[in-house]
Amino acid sequence: MKNIGASARHVFIDRSRFATRVRAIRGRRGRSGKAEIAVSPAVEAQGVAKRYGSLVAVENLTFAVEAGEVLGVLGPNGAGKTTAIRVLTTIFSPSRGSFAVAGVPHTRPAEIRRRIGVLPESDGYPERQTGEEYLRYHARLYGQTRASARTIAGALLEEVGLHDRRRSPIAAYSRGMRQRLGIARTLVNEPDVVFLDEPTLGLDPAGQRQILGNVRRIARERGATVLLSSHLLAEVEENCSRVMILNHGRVIAEGTVAEVAHRAAARRSGRLHVAPDDVGRAIAALTGTRGVETVEGADGQPGWLTVVFAPDAEDVENRSPSDALRVLLDSGVALLSFELEGARLSDAFLAMTAAV
Amino acid sequence: MAAVEQRPYEASREKGGSGWAIVLAQELRDLWLGGRGLLLSFGFSILLSLIAYLVATNTALNFLEQRESVNLTLQVAIAVGGLLTLLAAADTVSGERERGTLETLLLTPVSRRQVVTGKLLAALSLWLVAFAITVPYVWFLGRGLLIVTEALGTGLVVGTLLAVFLASLGVVISLFAGSNRVSLSVSLFLLLALFAPTQLPSSAQQGWAGELFLRANPITAGEHYVGRIVVNSHSWSEDVSWLLSPLVAAVVFAVAVPVLGARFLRLGGGRAK
Repeated sequence: MKNIGASARHVFIDRSRFATRVRAIRGRRGRSGKAEIAVSPAVEAQGVAKRYGSLVAVENLTFAVEAGEVLGVLGPNGAGKTTAIRVLTTIFSPSRGSFAVAGVPHTRPAEIRRRIGVLPESDGYPERQTGEEYLRYHARLYGQTRASARTIAGALLEEVGLHDRRRSPIAAYSRGMRQRLGIARTLVNEPDVVFLDEPTLGLDPAGQRQILGNVRRIARERGATVLLSSHLLAEVEENCSRVMILNHGRVIAEGTVAEVAHRAAARRSGRLHVAPDDVGRAIAALTGTRGVETVEGADGQPGWLTVVFAPDAEDVENRSPSDALRVLLDSGVALLSFELEGARLSDAFLAMTAAV
Repeated sequence: MAAVEQRPYEASREKGGSGWAIVLAQELRDLWLGGRGLLLSFGFSILLSLIAYLVATNTALNFLEQRESVNLTLQVAIAVGGLLTLLAAADTVSGERERGTLETLLLTPVSRRQVVTGKLLAALSLWLVAFAITVPYVWFLGRGLLIVTEALGTGLVVGTLLAVFLASLGVVISLFAGSNRVSLSVSLFLLLALFAPTQLPSSAQQGWAGELFLRANPITAGEHYVGRIVVNSHSWSEDVSWLLSPLVAAVVFAVAVPVLGARFLRLGGGRAK
């Protein structure tokens, strides 16, 4: 961040305070590195449900996110991601269950709103306002004085790269600029928790990269917890410390990407390239090897083999491919290349959402 | 669940002002600097100019006395000013809902009661500007008469009561309407229904039933009161009972706005909780 005066730092941008806050929320740790006091989750939901008559939008949503984490919220269309976010951000009241955000119970929605920043999926913007006016207005809604609202608006516009366009009407902003303005708006109140609902929707790759860069900065520099709902699985895999997959309003998986991928028991496959003369020997060696389900030659591609590994819930360390390669090498097969597919978040996502 | 820590910006929040005042200031800026209020006021002044010109220059044709000219102009100002206020109010919530800006407003810590109060007051500014535009026309048409001050005072009181009633009605409709089009259509329909009795033949307005009908309707009661003061030179207290329904309507609906707003200001037009 540039061009921020001392007063601005005092009023708003004080990174050390963010770090202090994160430490306070995370809890103190002793010399052993183990937590000495109970760690309070930044977001904690217990059996939250949201129903519209007979329609169940969210059912038994139970999860916890620690302070400073970036949680990817995944799910197919209609899975209940947006409803879950709207419940957690107090836009909708839960039909059942309870939750707390930044330590504030859901029975105090105004207090929760003071502590969160939200970029809704269908975010609209007043076309005639300038970006600066828009942020100033929102800072004022969070109780800032005129002077501090101006300082905050300037600092945030600088942070999201819109300072040069601060006096342009929002009508003249591109979709990517609007999303960055929206992200700036989510930060006007120094939120403890930031909810981003499909922030990269409709953006080109460059715009997506900019937004995801902002997301990383929110977590890293501000110490805020981020709940990121997205369809971009690769980006979620890259940016989120943990993921939660929703389907039909229920949490069907939660954990680190590796844990979720493993739990999904998604089939992995490998493409092997061996010397054409070694194809028969390779097939013979791999057939019957533990963890290998099928092995066959690729049509029209001499020397190429496709190996499908059996889903194995016990194979936590992904040993099957290594074992298969070892068997091949032990058999004296000349291995030219090997590409492992599967065991990625996208495979887990597809396996889980298709199965339920 | 952890204890809630003190927010670092709480101190500056104390000085930040009331939520309704911040919403009001922004709504006024959007309404007037955005051009919509100016455009509506310009249309209003054109209409008033036309009416004033006709009643001032064509008295032989329409047989209006000077007092009646003032009364007609004032009543048109109250009616059209009320219409503008109603239209602005009917757009407040449903318009934001359609433009996708309501959710971000609901996500702020400003209470829903304060949000609707700020929006209601901003819509009322249209009536105040409409009345300010009316003043020179009434003064011009009533020159030489001693009723100008009474006419303007009565117009301000009655017009303000009716504007509060209509603006509040518009906000309430907007709270529940599923779309902006529905909100505007229902508001206009109700306004026409309220004005319909003024077009009834005088025979239908006679007798106790006719008078009760006129008195119960805030619009007809208010306009009747203005006519008694301006045309019949009655004192303000003589027919003050005619102000009962405009007053009751204004108070009831003005109170209803924050009460209903706190409960029904939602993303889905009163459907999704």
